[in-house]
Amino acid sequence: MNMRSRITTLAALVVAVVAQAPLAQAQAQQDDGGRIARETSYPLIAEGRWPGKRLRDGQPDVEGFYSNTIGNHGNWVKPGRAPSRVTDPADGQIPYQPWARAKQKDFAANFSNPTKPEYIEPLARCAPGGVPKSFVWHGFEIRQYPGYVVLLFDSGSRVIHLDGKPQLPDSVKLWNGGSRGHWEGNTLLVDVRNTNGKALLGRQGDFIGPNAVIAERYIFAPDGGRFNYVVTVTDPETFTRPWTSTIPVRRYTEQDKPDNWNYWVVAANLPGKPLVHEHVERICVENNGPFGGGAVGVPFDGPLILR
Amino acid sequence: MRRFRTPGALLVLAMTVTMAMVPALGADKIPRLPSGKPDFSGIWQTTSPADYDLEPHAGRRDAPPGAGVVEGGTIPYLPDALAQRQHNFDRRAALDPRLKCWALGVPRNVYYPEPFQIFQRDRDLTLLHQFGHQVRTIYTNGSLHPQEQDQGFFLGDSRGRWEGDTLVVDVNDFIDETWLDRAGNFHSDKLHVVERWKYLDANTIEYRATLDDSEVYSRPWAITVNLFRNRDKNAQIIEDYCFTYEYDPFYPPRKE
Repeated sequence: MNMRSRITTLAALVVAVVAQAPLAQAQAQQDDGGRIARETSYPLIAEGRWPGKRLRDGQPDVEGFYSNTIGNHGNWVKPGRAPSRVTDPADGQIPYQPWARAKQKDFAANFSNPTKPEYIEPLARCAPGGVPKSFVWHGFEIRQYPGYVVLLFDSGSRVIHLDGKPQLPDSVKLWNGGSRGHWEGNTLLVDVRNTNGKALLGRQGDFIGPNAVIAERYIFAPDGGRFNYVVTVTDPETFTRPWTSTIPVRRYTEQDKPDNWNYWVVAANLPGKPLVHEHVERICVENNGPFGGGAVGVPFDGPLILR
Repeated sequence: MRRFRTPGALLVLAMTVTMAMVPALGADKIPRLPSGKPDFSGIWQTTSPADYDLEPHAGRRDAPPGAGVVEGGTIPYLPDALAQRQHNFDRRAALDPRLKCWALGVPRNVYYPEPFQIFQRDRDLTLLHQFGHQVRTIYTNGSLHPQEQDQGFFLGDSRGRWEGDTLVVDVNDFIDETWLDRAGNFHSDKLHVVERWKYLDANTIEYRATLDDSEVYSRPWAITVNLFRNRDKNAQIIEDYCFTYEYDPFYPPRKE
């Protein structure tokens, strides 16, 4: 139900924006109460041959709904309920340059009581989740077409070009960047450039600079039931060395119960036919005046565009 | 009988026959999915000034002139609704929801002057609009509108079916917060849209939409615009999350 879905979004945003201890705790209990069975460890998936179905253009057929298995979208490195998403270096920390570490800590210290606009998580203002944060946010859908893989996230969408179209010039900066990919066996390799550096990795201020080169590998298990998202970030302006994160992801199908978080779908109205789940319209800014607008310091007092 | 003997009538008859044949000839060359259905995949955009004003209008400070895309010329508003439209028109520089980068609604996002890309499978079409990076799914898997109505979608609920080579899409369950153009033309949450998507040739789609809304209009009415395939070398949809521009300058963290 759409209205309920919107309310869920708002509830999540309340936590994102207000982040006061009692609310955050309640959210955690709700999370642990069955909305998602979180994994504290996950299997590695080897890169290799794809034995499964293929689409008409030869791509491995991986269409469907997915969500990460570890939750914990609030931070990127903190171990506990989830292992640190950073898998290299081995200490699980992001190897910031000193200036960037100071910025991260400054955001973390001010997130719960923001006194300046830059201390507000952009996602709470309905901005796209960005790369790679989108993969630890709500569930998402993969749709494939000749020449393209399309990712529909809860906040924002990405088109991965497999068609050989060159990247845009470096001067063009985008929330989700530009994505150019190709398949090697069971692995989708994607070169991401042109990110604007504005989408945070969580609520602790972790970020990736606007001139990063991001290399993604989506390594699909032979049965198609899950994939590991392995992302390597090279950005000498912001980090002392390249680093890698891994997000385990599982597939959701009609066998699974929709939960308005990891598997945010509804049953299609197909009388007399087998159950089919479908994506629900995602809106945010249209429904988010008090949260993405006034309450977090973006009063709407005029046109946002002049065209 | 006499009128069929005149050369003029014969000419009209001949032209009618010829024109009727054009789609049939074009139909052999349009892109098709392996299933045989027309394949509308591609990047599309109208050249019409429909988004400035659906009705005929002279040029003005905020709009180029346009001959109008409404069949019959004007929208058949009920009296109260006509007054509301005038109010909207007078305050359009402040009230048009597009200025907030809200989802434009249907059919406005089809004739909005920015490109959109269609991705198509047998079971659905995904429309990715550059403006706001809005996504609409048109289901063609035989599914009906949800039993639960009054959900108030910005882009409506779209269920498509094929009539020959024409994709007919029934769209309902709208919210009343979108406009139809920059001139303040509007609808209520009772809006019901029937779209007809049809190839005129491999690079041109004729898009026709019938709008029915008993709270705002005295009868159903229709628009027609053509959509042209963008064949520019660098054509691509570039994300335009324009609702982020207000807070865009606050990020990212910068080295001081």
